[in-house]
Amino acid sequence: MIASGPVAAEDAIAASPWATAIKDKGQLIRGGTVANQVFSLASTSGGQPTGFDAGLTQLLAKYILGDGGEEKVEYIDTTVETRETMVQNGTVDCVIATYSITPERLEVISFAGPYYLSGTAVQVRTEDAETIAGPEDLTGLNLVTQANSTGIQAIEEHVTDPGKVETLPNNESCVAALKQGRVDAYVLDQGVLLGNSAADPEVTVVGDPFVDDPYGVGLSQDSEDALEFVNTFLQELIDSGAWDALWTATIGEVIDGEAPEPPVPGELPA
Amino acid sequence: MSNSATQVLFDAPGPKGRRRILLLSILSVLAIAGLLAAGLWQFHANGQLDPNKWVVYLRADYLAFLGQGLWGTLKVTAAAAVVAFPFGLLLALARLSRSSLLRAIAITWIEFFRGIPMLLVVYAFLLALPAFGVTFPRFWMLVIPMILVSSAATAEVFRAGIKAVDRGQHEAAAAIGLSRRDAMASVVLPQAVRLVLPSLILALVTLLKDSTLGYVVSYNELQFQGKTLVSITRYLVQTYLVVSVIYIVINLLLTRIALALDARMKARAVAS
Amino acid sequence: METLHGIIQYLQESIALLGDNLPLLLQGIGYTVALTLLGYGFALILGTVLAVCRVSPIPPLRWASAVYVEIFRNIPLLSLLILIAFGLPDVGLLLPYFWCGVLGLTLSSGAFVCENVRSGINTVPVGHAEAARSIGLGFFGTLRFVVLPQAFRAMVQPLVNVFIGTVIGSALCSAIAVSEITWVTQTLNIQSGRAVVMFLVAGAVYLGMSLGGAALGGVIERAVAPGGTGRCAPAPRST
Repeated sequence: MIASGPVAAEDAIAASPWATAIKDKGQLIRGGTVANQVFSLASTSGGQPTGFDAGLTQLLAKYILGDGGEEKVEYIDTTVETRETMVQNGTVDCVIATYSITPERLEVISFAGPYYLSGTAVQVRTEDAETIAGPEDLTGLNLVTQANSTGIQAIEEHVTDPGKVETLPNNESCVAALKQGRVDAYVLDQGVLLGNSAADPEVTVVGDPFVDDPYGVGLSQDSEDALEFVNTFLQELIDSGAWDALWTATIGEVIDGEAPEPPVPGELPA
Repeated sequence: MSNSATQVLFDAPGPKGRRRILLLSILSVLAIAGLLAAGLWQFHANGQLDPNKWVVYLRADYLAFLGQGLWGTLKVTAAAAVVAFPFGLLLALARLSRSSLLRAIAITWIEFFRGIPMLLVVYAFLLALPAFGVTFPRFWMLVIPMILVSSAATAEVFRAGIKAVDRGQHEAAAAIGLSRRDAMASVVLPQAVRLVLPSLILALVTLLKDSTLGYVVSYNELQFQGKTLVSITRYLVQTYLVVSVIYIVINLLLTRIALALDARMKARAVAS
Repeated sequence: METLHGIIQYLQESIALLGDNLPLLLQGIGYTVALTLLGYGFALILGTVLAVCRVSPIPPLRWASAVYVEIFRNIPLLSLLILIAFGLPDVGLLLPYFWCGVLGLTLSSGAFVCENVRSGINTVPVGHAEAARSIGLGFFGTLRFVVLPQAFRAMVQPLVNVFIGTVIGSALCSAIAVSEITWVTQTLNIQSGRAVVMFLVAGAVYLGMSLGGAALGGVIERAVAPGGTGRCAPAPRST
């Protein structure tokens, strides 16, 4: 599927110092996780990571580096706490990691996209899925979310009188806290939560997302051309139908129904 | 064994004493075995002894995945030690120098970095400095804090070593006309460095343990790789136990080397 | 003038920020102090018991103590905390995060206390223990009344180092959701973007505790110096 993705015209790359630098290196360095079942999961058998974000990364690499470029990606791990810094200091060329575009983050980095409209959702232990249906049922319950994530604000604004709200440094710890009964629900964007429930039947995502989380490609503010370049790439993906195909092969496996209408790259949320 | 109070805390036991020691030994073995059995039972009762949850750590790809992490751990530890140890020596010399300014700088540095958590230093490199436009690759975001913290600790190690070199050595060096600086460089330091070698190896153990903070800056050291592996296998206790055992084994080897060196030096000191 | 004005404004805003979040900051300091004191207190007890086992005539106790020390001084504290907080519940032992932190600090510092108590005992001249034995004191009597009180003096500085280790180790409890001062200041830092002032606050708390502990250690060391007290000082107990 990746192999059929578009390749950028020579002059489009030449027009972008950011893309030219990647082409000269012969490698795209992506910040993100390789531990999300739906969006980006490492293959332990030596192949490329798989998932929506991983596929997008490989399509971008191919777009810049040409045929076979999809295999020339270096995956660097980032967490919610380290993403901005990694983009700012040029450790990575871009971050593609269920990365919600927020005003706070836009102050320090820039975002291409959105490329996917996700939303903050609620994850519970599967046996509680009957009793907890959404944020309105979280009053008085103990909650967990990731440090420095969009979940913190979502809880403040949409959950009346929650119990204790814990923040932990990564997804693994949050899932452990939920499964072990330390908390009753895990609030974060759906992309991450869907990955968890795809990997682990003990946890389930309940209800619909209650805050919009548009995912963007995190880029350094120093390379202004990158924004336009990646937005053009995203638009080409959508136009060529590759976006739909990628959605069906990844997110479509865990969400019922047809692929949604893709967002318009470049139209940042207000 | 050297003579010390531990050797005479109790007499060589007589027949009655021996019986009592035997009895207490049996009781304590039973107690320890009981504790271990209870622990294992807890594992079993919660289904954590399921062989399927353990054999995965023999899979070549998972081992390679953790191996990458171990390689990262060893790299940052070595890089930090190579800079921190000589730096610590310089700090120790500054602290022992006759210039009160140098002494003040060294003391402030040492007390500061001994007294604050390395985690805070790592956070400074991750979250504070980028706000001022100062950023480092994640390798250095981990290694520089390790250097700063370790330099303070090793400075104290070197200082103790220099002070432990016999005073007569300083005087002898002065008697043959060496300047203070030359005496330090060619007489005292070589002995001091040999003297502190075991303590330096223990400082290496501390550095290796501190490298787990790579978990915070997303550097792929062993602890971080373990975390990612948890997401892939979902076997949390098993993964973190395997990771911890790797740390313990490496550190145990280093500690053994330090003890052996120490014993050899003590034996030599007694012999001369 | 311009920069001076900027600095004054920054200070004013920072003070306002600290004032607004005073309860949270105090709570963070409280948790850091509690983690440290409880962890260190229990570590003193555990470490002394282990050291007594280590020098006892019962071989299995000596071995068990040695194995304990090797494991817990060689495991990284962060790995230990994560195992306790997220590993133990999977084998049926779920403790609140705070107590996970205390337990981790105790287990780890206890190993270092044991080592220091043992080497402290080794500094006591053989003759003293022999004299105690010759007037008929047994194993515990010799330890309790003759060896440990003297060993205590040599142990003060190393035990201060263990204390400082416990202080800075407590920061790692932020990784297991204990809202101690590192956690509080970093959370506020992310919210407010005022990194400098947040690091100053956290640094001051830790330096205050480390240096305070060192100063207290110096006082204790002088108080138990030979000739300081003629009576038998008790073995180190928890604080």
